[in-house]
Amino acid sequence: MPKFLVLYKWTLDEQDIKVKSDDLSLDASRAKGKISDFDRNAIEEAAAIVEKQGGSVEALSYGTPTVKQSLKDVLSRGVDKAYWIGDASAETADAAVTAKVLAAAIRKIGPYDFILTGEGSSDQFNQQTAPRLAALLGLPCLSFVHKLEVDGAKASVARKLADCTELATVTGPAVISVLSDINKPRIPGLKQVLGAAKKPSEEIALGSLGLAAEDLQPKASRRSVKGFVMTRKNVIYKDAPADAVAKLVSSLAGEGLI
Amino acid sequence: MNFELTEEQQLIGQSAREFGKEFLDPIAVDLDHSGKFPKEIIEQLASYDFLGLLVPESQGGAGAGFVAYIQVVEALSRSCPAVASILNNHAMATHAIATWGSDAQKAEHVAALAKGSRLGAVAVYENGPTPGIGPDALVASRQGDKYVLNGTKAFVRNAGVADVYVVFATLDSSEKKEQTAFLVDARAGGLTVGPLLDTMGLKGCPVAHLLFSNVSVPASALLGAENGGSAIARTLLAVSSVAEAAQTVAIGKAAVRHAAEYAQQRVQFGKPIAVLQAIQTLLAEVATDSQLAWLGVLRAAQLIENGEPFEADAAMVKAFLARFGSKMLIDCCQVEGGFGFSEFMPLPRLFRDIAGTTLLDAPADYPDKIIADSIA
Repeated sequence: MPKFLVLYKWTLDEQDIKVKSDDLSLDASRAKGKISDFDRNAIEEAAAIVEKQGGSVEALSYGTPTVKQSLKDVLSRGVDKAYWIGDASAETADAAVTAKVLAAAIRKIGPYDFILTGEGSSDQFNQQTAPRLAALLGLPCLSFVHKLEVDGAKASVARKLADCTELATVTGPAVISVLSDINKPRIPGLKQVLGAAKKPSEEIALGSLGLAAEDLQPKASRRSVKGFVMTRKNVIYKDAPADAVAKLVSSLAGEGLI
Repeated sequence: MNFELTEEQQLIGQSAREFGKEFLDPIAVDLDHSGKFPKEIIEQLASYDFLGLLVPESQGGAGAGFVAYIQVVEALSRSCPAVASILNNHAMATHAIATWGSDAQKAEHVAALAKGSRLGAVAVYENGPTPGIGPDALVASRQGDKYVLNGTKAFVRNAGVADVYVVFATLDSSEKKEQTAFLVDARAGGLTVGPLLDTMGLKGCPVAHLLFSNVSVPASALLGAENGGSAIARTLLAVSSVAEAAQTVAIGKAAVRHAAEYAQQRVQFGKPIAVLQAIQTLLAEVATDSQLAWLGVLRAAQLIENGEPFEADAAMVKAFLARFGSKMLIDCCQVEGGFGFSEFMPLPRLFRDIAGTTLLDAPADYPDKIIADSIA
């Protein structure tokens, strides 16, 4: 029976983030945390497979100390046990640092047959965790997965690529990143929410992973994040309807929109 | 004093919000138009354990407590207050049996109600000036080992779809017209559900009169003691009024959110109307009223959960929202102008719904009297 590990990120809920009108900077002071959207799909996929054919689902997250707030949420979504690494270094960690931390933790708590994660996170959507992690662990990586079937240690996947769908099989252990259309994540029922408190969770201290200081030194740093606001051109054609339509069509064509 | 919710309470509220977005947002407009009881939605609510939220785990429920219940009622009401009304009436019937029922009554009803295989309703109102008075009063006569009920209960929510009714009647031997509570099976001979009332709002939550003609129930259907129903009804109405206050706050929040988004998008004289002071004042007042009321709702809910006296706090919230509930909607409509008055916007539906949540389960003077008594 397959043993899954799902990696998830505890992100800010973008619905709570305001874009300041003067400099387009972001005000996240009232933003609550949430499990990154695509990671919810990964959790759901593993949980659904295990509910159907047995096995186990564990979850792991690396984040700032606020990641602890995610434990009951993730445990209410079909996960049997949650591991968490809460450390301030996550605030500035780039994709390479994140992958190194996760890989070290997996070496400590593993092995697993399949390591699932979302294709990208809700906040940065770098899409680097799965391939970097697979490289560090020496495992095959299947990304852009929108269908997954598991039979023992073998997984069959459909990958949604830019101009085609690729069918592939892999024998675990393997790293798989999933797209949002692979499933519809469950809404936890009350008994799942209340039952989460009875499930185990375990903190992994970053210092226990044997990483060197340079492993935690990000090479890429974020200088600023600004909101995107679509500005309107406010072009008004006041001609007779036929002429106005002609000018509108001409204008759209001139900008390559039609 | 701590106003922070526990993680479980937050997650239960989050689940209810997700449920609202997934299942209620898509049907809210159609439900308002059709008024048809949303059976499949109630079954969905049951599958997520929302119907047994208040019921202790030992009786087959989730045992999540009243603060969590309020989170759910509020979250569902942001999407569709009518569904929250169905849930609340069911939850109050279930709560009554779980709290005041005999062991046999609990064994027969509570687990089934918590699971959603049966639906409950509370029948408390009558057409007369006060229960037990007037030609339509529901009167119970003890006849050997059974009671026979004759009369009418008015404005019963979940009428016609409930499987069991918590019914308040006046014993013909009761000189002070105290109420006595009974459990009446919907299939009882002589019980008729009147025509559904075409209500102003909360459409989809069926409301009708129940007509009792020689309805015979066994003595074991007595809920609590003879003449002990008035106290049960008072408590149930007070508890229910807190849930309805949560509904009112939710409707106000939904309205102000919509109005604020509209104000950001509506451009007049080259800038969004959201930057105009007159608009900001309207929105700020609604946001303030709903937020302060919500704190009051949470306080009353916490008192209920703690088993402390809560009636005065519940009445204060109810009275506050009776005054400011409809005003919140008027102000939001004003922000949206002619569009806000149009049926293709959500505010008219919310306006009708908030009339229901502020007017029902407490006549206008009811909370004021409780408050006055508490300070006298």
